[in-house]
Amino acid sequence: MRSMILEAQTGMQTKPNPGLFKRNPPIAGEAEAIERAKEGDPDAFSKLYALHKRRVYTLCLRMLGNVSEAEDMTQEAFLHLFRKLGSFRGESAFSTWLHRLTVNLVLMHLRKKGLNLVSLEETINPSEDDAPKRDFGSRDQQLAGSVDRVTLERAVSSLPPGYRMVFVLHDVEGFEHNEIASMLECSTGNSKSQLHKARLKLRELLRNPEQFAAPASGKEGV
Amino acid sequence: MSDSVALNHSPEIFDNMTPAEFEERLPDLFGIGNGKVSEDPRFAIFLEKNPDCAALVRDLEIIAETAAKLFGPSDDQDPADSVWDNIAIKMKNDPN
Repeated sequence: MRSMILEAQTGMQTKPNPGLFKRNPPIAGEAEAIERAKEGDPDAFSKLYALHKRRVYTLCLRMLGNVSEAEDMTQEAFLHLFRKLGSFRGESAFSTWLHRLTVNLVLMHLRKKGLNLVSLEETINPSEDDAPKRDFGSRDQQLAGSVDRVTLERAVSSLPPGYRMVFVLHDVEGFEHNEIASMLECSTGNSKSQLHKARLKLRELLRNPEQFAAPASGKEGV
Repeated sequence: MSDSVALNHSPEIFDNMTPAEFEERLPDLFGIGNGKVSEDPRFAIFLEKNPDCAALVRDLEIIAETAAKLFGPSDDQDPADSVWDNIAIKMKNDPN
Protein backbone atom coordinates (compact mmCIF):
# COMPACT_ATOMS: atom_id res chain seq x y z
CA MET A 1 0.00 0.00 0.00
CA ARG A 2 2.79 2.38 0.90
CA SER A 3 4.50 1.84 -2.44
CA MET A 4 1.16 2.33 -4.20
CA ILE A 5 0.75 5.66 -2.42
CA LEU A 6 4.25 6.66 -3.44
CA GLU A 7 3.55 5.55 -6.98
CA ALA A 8 0.41 7.62 -7.13
CA GLN A 9 2.11 10.65 -5.62
CA THR A 10 5.23 10.53 -7.72
CA GLY A 11 3.67 9.35 -10.95
CA MET A 12 6.32 6.66 -11.12
CA GLN A 13 5.70 3.00 -11.66
CA THR A 14 7.39 0.38 -9.61
CA LYS A 15 10.15 -1.39 -11.51
CA PRO A 16 9.40 -4.56 -13.44
CA ASN A 17 10.40 -7.91 -12.03
CA PRO A 18 13.35 -8.88 -14.25
CA GLY A 19 14.53 -11.76 -12.09
CA LEU A 20 11.38 -13.78 -12.52
CA PHE A 21 10.69 -12.94 -16.13
CA LYS A 22 14.21 -13.64 -17.31
CA ARG A 23 14.05 -17.06 -15.70
CA ASN A 24 10.72 -18.16 -17.08
CA PRO A 25 11.06 -18.81 -20.79
CA PRO A 26 8.98 -21.73 -22.08
CA ILE A 27 10.90 -25.01 -21.74
CA ALA A 28 10.50 -27.60 -24.47
CA GLY A 29 8.87 -30.77 -23.21
CA GLU A 30 8.07 -29.36 -19.78
CA ALA A 31 4.30 -29.29 -20.11
CA GLU A 32 4.19 -32.91 -21.25
CA ALA A 33 6.56 -33.98 -18.47
CA ILE A 34 4.33 -32.25 -15.90
CA GLU A 35 1.23 -34.08 -17.09
CA ARG A 36 3.02 -37.44 -17.18
CA ALA A 37 4.57 -36.85 -13.75
CA LYS A 38 1.13 -36.04 -12.35
CA GLU A 39 0.08 -39.51 -13.53
CA GLY A 40 2.99 -41.04 -11.61
CA ASP A 41 5.53 -41.52 -14.40
CA PRO A 42 8.94 -41.57 -12.63
CA ASP A 43 10.83 -40.80 -15.84
CA ALA A 44 8.78 -37.66 -16.30
CA PHE A 45 9.57 -36.56 -12.77
CA SER A 46 13.23 -37.26 -13.43
CA LYS A 47 12.98 -34.99 -16.46
CA LEU A 48 11.43 -32.21 -14.36
CA TYR A 49 14.30 -32.59 -11.91
CA ALA A 50 16.85 -32.36 -14.73
CA LEU A 51 15.15 -29.24 -16.10
CA HIS A 52 14.94 -27.39 -12.81
CA LYS A 53 17.60 -28.76 -10.45
CA ARG A 54 20.15 -26.03 -11.19
CA ARG A 55 17.68 -23.24 -10.64
CA VAL A 56 16.31 -24.69 -7.40
CA TYR A 57 19.72 -25.60 -6.01
CA THR A 58 21.24 -22.22 -6.81
CA LEU A 59 18.29 -20.43 -5.22
CA CYS A 60 18.74 -22.52 -2.04
CA LEU A 61 22.48 -21.92 -2.08
CA ARG A 62 22.08 -18.17 -2.38
CA MET A 63 19.44 -17.98 0.32
CA LEU A 64 21.27 -20.26 2.74
CA GLY A 65 24.92 -19.62 1.87
CA ASN A 66 25.82 -23.22 2.67
CA VAL A 67 26.29 -26.13 0.26
CA SER A 68 25.12 -28.97 2.46
CA GLU A 69 21.99 -27.15 3.65
CA ALA A 70 21.28 -26.14 0.04
CA GLU A 71 21.49 -29.76 -1.08
CA ASP A 72 19.15 -30.84 1.72
CA MET A 73 16.65 -28.14 0.80
CA THR A 74 16.87 -29.01 -2.90
CA GLN A 75 15.99 -32.56 -1.98
CA GLU A 76 13.10 -31.34 0.18
CA ALA A 77 11.85 -29.04 -2.56
CA PHE A 78 11.65 -31.83 -5.12
CA LEU A 79 10.09 -34.27 -2.68
CA HIS A 80 7.52 -31.59 -1.86
CA LEU A 81 7.00 -31.12 -5.57
CA PHE A 82 6.52 -34.87 -5.98
CA ARG A 83 3.75 -34.83 -3.37
CA LYS A 84 2.10 -31.57 -4.46
CA LEU A 85 2.44 -31.67 -8.23
CA GLY A 86 -1.21 -32.65 -8.57
CA SER A 87 -2.21 -29.26 -7.20
CA PHE A 88 -0.34 -27.39 -9.95
CA ARG A 89 -3.05 -25.92 -12.18
CA GLY A 90 -0.89 -24.01 -14.62
CA GLU A 91 -2.17 -20.62 -13.49
CA SER A 92 1.42 -19.39 -13.38
CA ALA A 93 4.54 -20.66 -15.11
CA PHE A 94 5.71 -23.93 -13.60
CA SER A 95 9.13 -22.46 -12.87
CA THR A 96 7.49 -19.57 -10.99
CA TRP A 97 5.38 -21.99 -8.98
CA LEU A 98 8.42 -24.15 -8.16
CA HIS A 99 10.45 -21.06 -7.33
CA ARG A 100 7.87 -19.89 -4.78
CA LEU A 101 7.52 -23.38 -3.36
CA THR A 102 11.30 -23.45 -2.84
CA VAL A 103 11.45 -19.99 -1.27
CA ASN A 104 8.67 -20.94 1.15
CA LEU A 105 10.41 -24.19 2.11
CA VAL A 106 13.69 -22.37 2.76
CA LEU A 107 11.89 -19.79 4.89
CA MET A 108 10.19 -22.58 6.87
CA HIS A 109 13.58 -24.23 7.31
CA LEU A 110 15.07 -21.00 8.63
CA ARG A 111 12.18 -20.53 11.04
CA LYS A 112 12.72 -24.06 12.35
CA LYS A 113 16.36 -23.19 12.88
CA GLY A 114 15.25 -20.33 15.10
CA LEU A 115 15.52 -17.51 12.60
CA ASN A 116 12.21 -15.88 13.42
CA LEU A 117 11.18 -13.98 10.33
CA VAL A 118 7.94 -12.70 11.78
CA SER A 119 9.59 -9.63 13.17
CA LEU A 120 12.55 -8.97 10.96
CA GLU A 121 13.56 -5.80 12.71
CA GLU A 122 13.84 -7.42 16.07
CA THR A 123 14.98 -10.91 15.32
CA ILE A 124 17.18 -11.05 12.28
CA ASN A 125 18.85 -7.72 12.57
CA PRO A 126 22.52 -8.43 12.87
CA SER A 127 24.55 -7.54 15.90
CA GLU A 128 26.09 -4.10 16.15
CA ASP A 129 29.33 -5.54 14.79
CA ASP A 130 27.58 -6.82 11.67
CA ALA A 131 25.47 -3.74 11.03
CA PRO A 132 26.63 -1.37 8.31
CA LYS A 133 28.43 1.68 9.56
CA ARG A 134 26.38 4.85 9.39
CA ASP A 135 28.84 6.96 7.51
CA PHE A 136 29.31 7.77 3.88
CA GLY A 137 32.97 6.80 3.77
CA SER A 138 35.61 8.62 1.83
CA ARG A 139 35.12 9.02 -1.89
CA ASP A 140 38.60 7.74 -2.70
CA GLN A 141 37.37 4.35 -1.49
CA GLN A 142 34.29 4.24 -3.67
CA LEU A 143 33.73 1.23 -5.88
CA ALA A 144 35.61 1.33 -9.14
CA GLY A 145 32.64 1.43 -11.49
CA SER A 146 31.96 -2.31 -11.53
CA VAL A 147 32.04 -5.34 -9.30
CA ASP A 148 32.91 -8.80 -10.56
CA ARG A 149 30.62 -11.73 -9.89
CA VAL A 150 33.01 -13.79 -7.78
CA THR A 151 33.76 -10.86 -5.48
CA LEU A 152 30.09 -10.02 -5.12
CA GLU A 153 29.22 -13.69 -4.46
CA ARG A 154 31.78 -13.82 -1.67
CA ALA A 155 30.52 -10.58 -0.20
CA VAL A 156 26.88 -11.74 -0.32
CA SER A 157 27.78 -14.99 1.41
CA SER A 158 29.40 -12.93 4.15
CA LEU A 159 26.20 -11.01 4.87
CA PRO A 160 24.23 -11.73 8.04
CA PRO A 161 21.33 -14.12 7.20
CA GLY A 162 18.57 -11.50 7.42
CA TYR A 163 20.33 -9.08 5.13
CA ARG A 164 21.27 -11.86 2.70
CA MET A 165 17.68 -13.11 2.54
CA VAL A 166 16.18 -9.76 1.51
CA PHE A 167 19.07 -8.91 -0.83
CA VAL A 168 18.82 -12.25 -2.66
CA LEU A 169 15.04 -12.09 -2.92
CA HIS A 170 14.99 -8.49 -4.22
CA ASP A 171 18.19 -7.77 -6.11
CA VAL A 172 19.00 -11.26 -7.37
CA GLU A 173 15.63 -13.00 -7.69
CA GLY A 174 13.65 -9.92 -8.65
CA PHE A 175 10.86 -10.06 -6.07
CA GLU A 176 9.10 -6.77 -5.27
CA HIS A 177 9.07 -5.40 -1.74
CA ASN A 178 5.38 -6.18 -1.31
CA GLU A 179 6.03 -9.82 -2.30
CA ILE A 180 8.97 -10.07 0.11
CA ALA A 181 6.91 -8.50 2.86
CA SER A 182 4.22 -11.09 2.26
CA MET A 183 6.68 -13.99 2.29
CA LEU A 184 8.57 -12.78 5.35
CA GLU A 185 5.45 -11.51 7.12
CA CYS A 186 6.87 -8.05 7.64
CA SER A 187 6.05 -4.57 6.34
CA THR A 188 7.20 -3.30 2.95
CA GLY A 189 9.00 -0.53 4.81
CA ASN A 190 10.87 -3.17 6.76
CA SER A 191 11.81 -4.96 3.56
CA LYS A 192 13.11 -1.71 2.05
CA SER A 193 15.05 -0.93 5.18
CA GLN A 194 16.65 -4.40 5.32
CA LEU A 195 17.57 -4.20 1.63
CA HIS A 196 19.18 -0.81 2.13
CA LYS A 197 21.18 -2.06 5.09
CA ALA A 198 22.25 -5.11 3.08
CA ARG A 199 23.52 -2.92 0.26
CA LEU A 200 25.32 -0.63 2.72
CA LYS A 201 26.96 -3.66 4.30
CA LEU A 202 27.96 -4.99 0.88
CA ARG A 203 29.50 -1.64 0.01
CA GLU A 204 31.48 -1.76 3.21
CA LEU A 205 32.61 -5.34 2.48
CA LEU A 206 33.52 -4.61 -1.12
CA ARG A 207 35.62 -1.64 -0.10
CA ASN A 208 37.36 -3.73 2.56
CA PRO A 209 37.58 -7.26 1.14
CA GLU A 210 39.68 -8.42 4.10
CA GLN A 211 36.42 -8.43 6.08
CA PHE A 212 35.05 -11.32 4.00
CA ALA A 213 34.50 -14.46 5.99
CA ALA A 214 36.93 -17.15 4.86
CA PRO A 215 35.10 -20.01 3.11
CA ALA A 216 34.88 -23.01 5.44
CA SER A 217 36.47 -25.96 3.61
CA GLY A 218 34.78 -25.04 0.37
CA LYS A 219 31.31 -25.62 1.78
CA GLU A 220 30.16 -22.01 1.76
CA GLY A 221 28.65 -20.43 -1.27
CA VAL A 222 26.27 -17.75 -2.44
CA MET B 1 8.90 12.34 8.57
CA SER B 2 7.09 9.70 6.54
CA ASP B 3 8.33 8.87 3.07
CA SER B 4 5.06 9.79 1.40
CA VAL B 5 5.19 13.24 2.94
CA ALA B 6 8.90 13.61 2.27
CA LEU B 7 8.61 12.75 -1.40
CA ASN B 8 5.72 15.10 -1.94
CA HIS B 9 7.75 18.20 -1.07
CA SER B 10 8.74 20.79 -3.61
CA PRO B 11 12.15 20.19 -5.21
CA GLU B 12 13.73 23.06 -3.25
CA ILE B 13 13.25 21.07 -0.06
CA PHE B 14 15.43 18.30 -1.46
CA ASP B 15 18.12 20.80 -2.41
CA ASN B 16 18.52 21.79 1.23
CA MET B 17 18.39 18.40 2.92
CA THR B 18 21.21 17.46 5.23
CA PRO B 19 23.17 14.31 4.33
CA ALA B 20 21.61 12.60 7.37
CA GLU B 21 18.09 13.43 6.17
CA PHE B 22 18.98 12.15 2.72
CA GLU B 23 20.32 8.89 4.10
CA GLU B 24 17.19 8.42 6.19
CA ARG B 25 15.06 8.66 3.04
CA LEU B 26 17.28 6.54 0.82
CA PRO B 27 15.58 3.15 1.45
CA ASP B 28 12.31 4.60 0.14
CA LEU B 29 13.94 6.55 -2.66
CA PHE B 30 15.51 3.36 -3.99
CA GLY B 31 12.16 1.62 -3.72
CA ILE B 32 10.35 3.79 -6.28
CA GLY B 33 10.68 4.28 -9.99
CA ASN B 34 13.55 2.38 -11.55
CA GLY B 35 15.60 2.62 -8.38
CA LYS B 36 18.02 5.07 -10.01
CA VAL B 37 18.23 7.89 -7.50
CA SER B 38 21.20 9.31 -9.41
CA GLU B 39 18.96 9.96 -12.41
CA ASP B 40 16.10 11.58 -10.48
CA PRO B 41 16.15 15.30 -11.32
CA ARG B 42 14.71 16.17 -7.90
CA PHE B 43 18.02 15.23 -6.29
CA ALA B 44 20.43 16.55 -8.91
CA ILE B 45 21.30 19.75 -7.06
CA PHE B 46 21.57 18.04 -3.70
CA LEU B 47 23.89 15.33 -5.08
CA GLU B 48 26.02 17.92 -6.82
CA LYS B 49 26.42 19.79 -3.54
CA ASN B 50 27.10 16.60 -1.56
CA PRO B 51 29.64 14.47 -3.39
CA ASP B 52 29.88 11.93 -0.56
CA CYS B 53 26.15 11.28 -0.88
CA ALA B 54 26.52 11.06 -4.65
CA ALA B 55 29.30 8.49 -4.21
CA LEU B 56 27.13 6.47 -1.83
CA VAL B 57 24.21 6.48 -4.28
CA ARG B 58 26.50 5.50 -7.14
CA ASP B 59 28.00 2.60 -5.19
CA LEU B 60 24.62 1.26 -4.06
CA GLU B 61 23.31 1.44 -7.62
CA ILE B 62 26.37 -0.44 -8.89
CA ILE B 63 25.79 -3.18 -6.31
CA ALA B 64 22.10 -3.55 -7.24
CA GLU B 65 22.80 -3.51 -10.99
CA THR B 66 25.64 -5.98 -10.67
CA ALA B 67 23.51 -8.39 -8.65
CA ALA B 68 20.70 -8.24 -11.22
CA LYS B 69 23.02 -8.73 -14.20
CA LEU B 70 25.60 -11.17 -12.96
CA PHE B 71 23.43 -13.76 -11.27
CA GLY B 72 21.71 -14.98 -14.41
CA PRO B 73 20.71 -18.55 -15.29
CA SER B 74 24.19 -19.19 -16.72
CA ASP B 75 25.56 -18.79 -13.20
CA ASP B 76 23.30 -21.48 -11.79
CA GLN B 77 25.14 -24.44 -10.32
CA ASP B 78 24.53 -28.17 -10.33
CA PRO B 79 23.73 -29.99 -7.11
CA ALA B 80 25.70 -33.13 -6.27
CA ASP B 81 24.48 -36.35 -7.93
CA SER B 82 23.67 -37.72 -4.48
CA VAL B 83 20.76 -35.25 -4.24
CA TRP B 84 18.84 -37.05 -7.00
CA ASP B 85 19.86 -40.45 -5.62
CA ASN B 86 18.29 -39.52 -2.27
CA ILE B 87 15.16 -38.15 -3.93
CA ALA B 88 14.72 -41.30 -6.02
CA ILE B 89 15.04 -43.54 -2.94
CA LYS B 90 12.52 -41.49 -0.96
CA MET B 91 10.10 -41.40 -3.87
CA LYS B 92 10.17 -45.18 -4.07
CA ASN B 93 9.42 -45.42 -0.35
CA ASP B 94 6.73 -42.74 -0.46
CA PRO B 95 4.85 -43.21 -3.74
CA ASN B 96 2.64 -40.09 -3.71
